[in-house]
Amino acid sequence: MENIKSRLKSSDKNSMMLFLIAVLIFGVMAVLAPSSFLGIKNIQGMCTQFPEFGLISFGMMLAMISGGIDLSLVGIANFSGIVAAYIMVKMGGSPASILLGCIAAVLVGALCGCFNGFMIGYLQIPPMLVTLCGLQLYTGCGLMITKGPAITGLPEGYSVLGNGTVAGIPLAFIIFILGALLVSFLLRSTVYGQHVRYMGTNSMASRYSGINNLAVTIKTYAVSGVLGSLAGLIMVSRYNSAKTDYGSSYTLLSLLIVVLGGTNPDGGKGSAIGVLLSVVVLQLVSSAFNIMRVDSSLKTFVWGVILILVIVIGQLSRERTCE
Amino acid sequence: MKDRIKRGLATNEMIVVYIILALCILIGIVNPAFASASTVVSLLRSMLVTLIFAAFEMMVIISGGIDVSFPAVASFAMYATAMIMNGAGLNSIVLAFIIAIVIGMLFGFLNSVLVARLGIPPLIATLGVSSVANGATLAFLGSKEINKLPESFGNLSKVFIYEYVGESGITYQLTALILIPVVIYIGLWILLKYTMLGRGIYAVGGDKNAARIAGFRVVFIQSFVYILAGALAGVGGVTYMILMRQAHPQVLMGTEMMVIAAVVMGGTRITGGHGSISGTILGVTLIALIQNNLIMLGVPTYAQTFVVGLLIVVGTSITSLRTKKIQNSVKI
Repeated sequence: MENIKSRLKSSDKNSMMLFLIAVLIFGVMAVLAPSSFLGIKNIQGMCTQFPEFGLISFGMMLAMISGGIDLSLVGIANFSGIVAAYIMVKMGGSPASILLGCIAAVLVGALCGCFNGFMIGYLQIPPMLVTLCGLQLYTGCGLMITKGPAITGLPEGYSVLGNGTVAGIPLAFIIFILGALLVSFLLRSTVYGQHVRYMGTNSMASRYSGINNLAVTIKTYAVSGVLGSLAGLIMVSRYNSAKTDYGSSYTLLSLLIVVLGGTNPDGGKGSAIGVLLSVVVLQLVSSAFNIMRVDSSLKTFVWGVILILVIVIGQLSRERTCE
Repeated sequence: MKDRIKRGLATNEMIVVYIILALCILIGIVNPAFASASTVVSLLRSMLVTLIFAAFEMMVIISGGIDVSFPAVASFAMYATAMIMNGAGLNSIVLAFIIAIVIGMLFGFLNSVLVARLGIPPLIATLGVSSVANGATLAFLGSKEINKLPESFGNLSKVFIYEYVGESGITYQLTALILIPVVIYIGLWILLKYTMLGRGIYAVGGDKNAARIAGFRVVFIQSFVYILAGALAGVGGVTYMILMRQAHPQVLMGTEMMVIAAVVMGGTRITGGHGSISGTILGVTLIALIQNNLIMLGVPTYAQTFVVGLLIVVGTSITSLRTKKIQNSVKI
């Protein structure tokens, strides 16, 4: 009991704060617009919206913990979504083709991630540059397949992934939770999780202590790519079509989520629960905006302001603890 | 002497020159129409705004940072300037540039506070500022393009310093606006090469602590870099507006990728401390050449993003690998 208490106190001040913010927004909105905000429709709607950028955020978090950044995730998501859609449409939309499409998408995600990881780990090109180029490259790959217009005419059965529910819980939400558990497990309970943290804190020291930095980097970006491809699959299913320019705002959003979730932008530190909570907070803010009928471009502005504020506060408090 | 020539022929700049030459020959073989003055004119026109952006992006990268907020800042400055000029019935080009520079400097100041004073990673700080600027443009200023601009803008866009009548009777005209990047590059060259401040930018990018110990005012230098970058982003925005004869709040968004790629291909190290004016101009030329002439090579439109992406990946890998080789080589 004492142990739990001290752990709560020491490690997750940030998560605690996020939790309180979430509760606060929830409370305020429940008072302001109880009928529309608390309705089962809105809650289900929220749960189908955030898995996309939530999964991308987890990918971003892994990259950031390793000391890098992954700006190519939206490109990977669209590319793998397009591959899946292409296979499904070409094979006539049978259940087997849906399965094959999904597997292909995940493979594409992993491959793109491995490519990122190889360029970063082996060629020592800065992650920011690699993934920025990667974004262009993967978007280009997607565009080669679609030749411009969106791929439509997806099989009916596939829309279940983004829109269907199991016992009232959206399927996308379940995928998101599974992804969150996977990342949490990787970070908490595996050797890899320790290594990636060490590498993020000090890559030179981790190399000298016998950690294979290249392998860790490739694994990190591969997992990140797979998470991106899952987001892409959900996106394709929700829009019922595949195109290269879906979700273009997600890069910034996921950065915001990850930083808000207490991940250190310099690497080495970050928790899945923090990111999970900050996904929820951002979705609550976004839903609140929609219900209050605020212009969506104002959302971009507010997110930017929140990102800057959060990081400034984080930086100042870190400086104070250092002193 | 022989050694010097040998080394001179193997610099990053020269490699870009070789690539450009090879590409020109390739395009010229596939499509003989390429070898004409019109190509140069249209190339310069399409490079114009990118050149301005690349100039200060290079400076920021040399100082060890990065600025991805400039498209949003330029859009904001462009749109706000157009609105102010129209609203107040002003008709002076100088005033337009001054307004845009002031707006740009304000955003640059925000960047500089975040990066230089608070020590926030530049990418994240400028991404946040980018989102703020872009959101503010769309939410507070407007989202429709402005086509009605002051007369003097239209007049300036019709001033040409070079005219050429093609065989088929089409006139190709080189706009006088090309002088803006020329002035900026000369100014930046003097700044980087011959002033203490400019050498300080290299020093800070190379090693922040060493620069501090050597007596450079690191925070001041970084602040200067970001504020100047903001001001030049404003200049770029207004130039674009005059060139295209309209103010559009979104059209520049997404150009940061190309500009950064051009700068890096020109031999500027993304980790800071190295970079040259000539390299940057060459990098921009290369990217513009690729983007403008892929159609001449028979690459279909839908494949262009991929080809450009691939070329950037290859180009940046080559420069990064060379950097690594230089860093690992024996130092005498």
